[in-house]
Amino acid sequence: MVELRGVSWRAGGRPILDNIDAIFAPGRFNVILGPNGAGKSTLLRIATGLLVPDTGTVRYGDRDVRQIAAGELARQRAVLSQRMELAFPLPVDDVVLIGRYPHFGRSPSRHDRDVVAQALDLVGMTGQRSQTYSTLSGGEQQKVQLARVLAQTWPTADGSATWLFLDEPTTSLDVHYQIHLLDVARGLLTSGCTVIAVLHDLNMALRYGDNFLVLDGGRVAAAADHRDAISRELIERVFRVHAERIGDPVTGGTAWQFSL
Amino acid sequence: MLSRLTFRQVYLLLAVALAGAVVMSAAIGDFIFTPRAMVRFVGQALHLVPLTAADALDRNVFFKLRLPRVLLGTVTGAVLGVSGTLMQGLFRNPIVEPGLAGTSAGAAFGAALVFVLGGHATLAFTAPLGSAAVPVLAFAGGFAATVLVYRVSTSFGKVNVFTMLLAGIAVNAVCAAGTGFLSYIARDPQARNITFWNLGTFTTADWPGALLVTATFLICCVFAFRYGKALNALMLGEDEAAYTGLDPRRFTWGLLVVNTLMVAVATAMVGVIAFIGLVVPHLLRMLRSSDYTFLLPASALLGAVLMEVIDTVARLVIAPAELPIGIITAVVGAPIFIWILMRQQRRGAAGYFG
Repeated sequence: MVELRGVSWRAGGRPILDNIDAIFAPGRFNVILGPNGAGKSTLLRIATGLLVPDTGTVRYGDRDVRQIAAGELARQRAVLSQRMELAFPLPVDDVVLIGRYPHFGRSPSRHDRDVVAQALDLVGMTGQRSQTYSTLSGGEQQKVQLARVLAQTWPTADGSATWLFLDEPTTSLDVHYQIHLLDVARGLLTSGCTVIAVLHDLNMALRYGDNFLVLDGGRVAAAADHRDAISRELIERVFRVHAERIGDPVTGGTAWQFSL
Repeated sequence: MLSRLTFRQVYLLLAVALAGAVVMSAAIGDFIFTPRAMVRFVGQALHLVPLTAADALDRNVFFKLRLPRVLLGTVTGAVLGVSGTLMQGLFRNPIVEPGLAGTSAGAAFGAALVFVLGGHATLAFTAPLGSAAVPVLAFAGGFAATVLVYRVSTSFGKVNVFTMLLAGIAVNAVCAAGTGFLSYIARDPQARNITFWNLGTFTTADWPGALLVTATFLICCVFAFRYGKALNALMLGEDEAAYTGLDPRRFTWGLLVVNTLMVAVATAMVGVIAFIGLVVPHLLRMLRSSDYTFLLPASALLGAVLMEVIDTVARLVIAPAELPIGIITAVVGAPIFIWILMRQQRRGAAGYFG
């Protein structure tokens, strides 16, 4: 469980986050929603331990995040951000191996190499493992980054808890790669991993999420543990749109459609 | 070509090349020593072979002039190679090197201060430092210049290349102006030293200087060679590196200190030698890999090889006079620098080789 209590953060005299309380439930897909500038990314950076909040605490289980050593935290918690480019050419498996850095000293063990291979297999990139990262398409690059963070928090024999943070990971990916990435993330829940994601696409968020935290203007607008609790009124107020539920008569599935 | 070799095989290859370059550099010059003569000198020094009066002069030249020069050249090359790799990793760009980021010019200015004003009252505070004043002020100058360039070009964990280039130009200009001013007010022999030394030279090599540079390099290497993983992680960005357990602040300052220390001490002895730090990591990336755990040791070896070859050429082209090292490195390095810039421009940083 990751628990934020009374978290506030100011930047340039302006409050970005104002007294946030939130609980990210273990073994579930926790989604953070909100319009641009709501403070989602800042909240995520605080929850990962990267930023220290002005006030308030972040707890992982029963420990304050500041009491966990950087190396130990890195073995249990990984963060996938938006697609990134590398300044220098590296082969795919070397990029994934970076995820294992918190786990070895000078040179990787056989186990580290195994984990890299399995992570690449899990995201379906085994065939490209010796290719140069920069020659891959954007979607493939993000698959490699996903493999990297999976390798970082790969389940250990003692079954200790792990946390995977996703910071708008599907931005600039096509639908195929979006679904693939979120499917893989969802699949991790069975191995004791807790997923905490900032997602922009409301329909994707509602489809994959278990728990929802809606931010607006640096405050919690709503917290829900079921997608049905995300009401039309809430969406229309927070995102300043008209929302309409549309259904597919064949599959019976529904989705939101938005207009101004 | 090299891309099929393991890292260890590349190290071995470079070590063999280095041994060859060192022997060649020790043999060739105003005095030419045959391998047989060199073996005899070493044997004599170890008291394995009786001393002969006939080659007393040769022996003196070999041990007092040639060998310290070879050692100084080798280690300086290694320093510049490793420094180029460290700085390219920190700035996340293949065009950075100590000559460009102000490290060398700042160190040169610091050292020139002591050369020219060392006896003067304005620098009386350096008196207690004694002979350490030159390296200490060189470090102070190099560190201030590098930190300034780094701070100006970095915002929110990202390095802006163009700002960095411009900041580098400005800082280099200020340091060069300072050094130029000092050489203007200096008395004649000092001035000649500074002018020569602005282009890098090994002619003043002696054992104490060579050993100081070597000792500093070895100590710095203990730290620098551990930075490989961190520099790899930094390729992903500062935040991503932090998520793998790195403290970017501590790491950056540690790297800047280690890097500046070895560059400053070497610069205080041999002057400013540009482009070695640029070319060495670039060649290694092209030939084998961009993995910093490989680049750091390999750039020490390749830097040493290149410097020995260049120093030998410098001694030969206009013999019996000598060409300053910096002229050769600039003639070879500047076109490569422009070529890398053009590639970057055309393909964006991500398409470095892609």
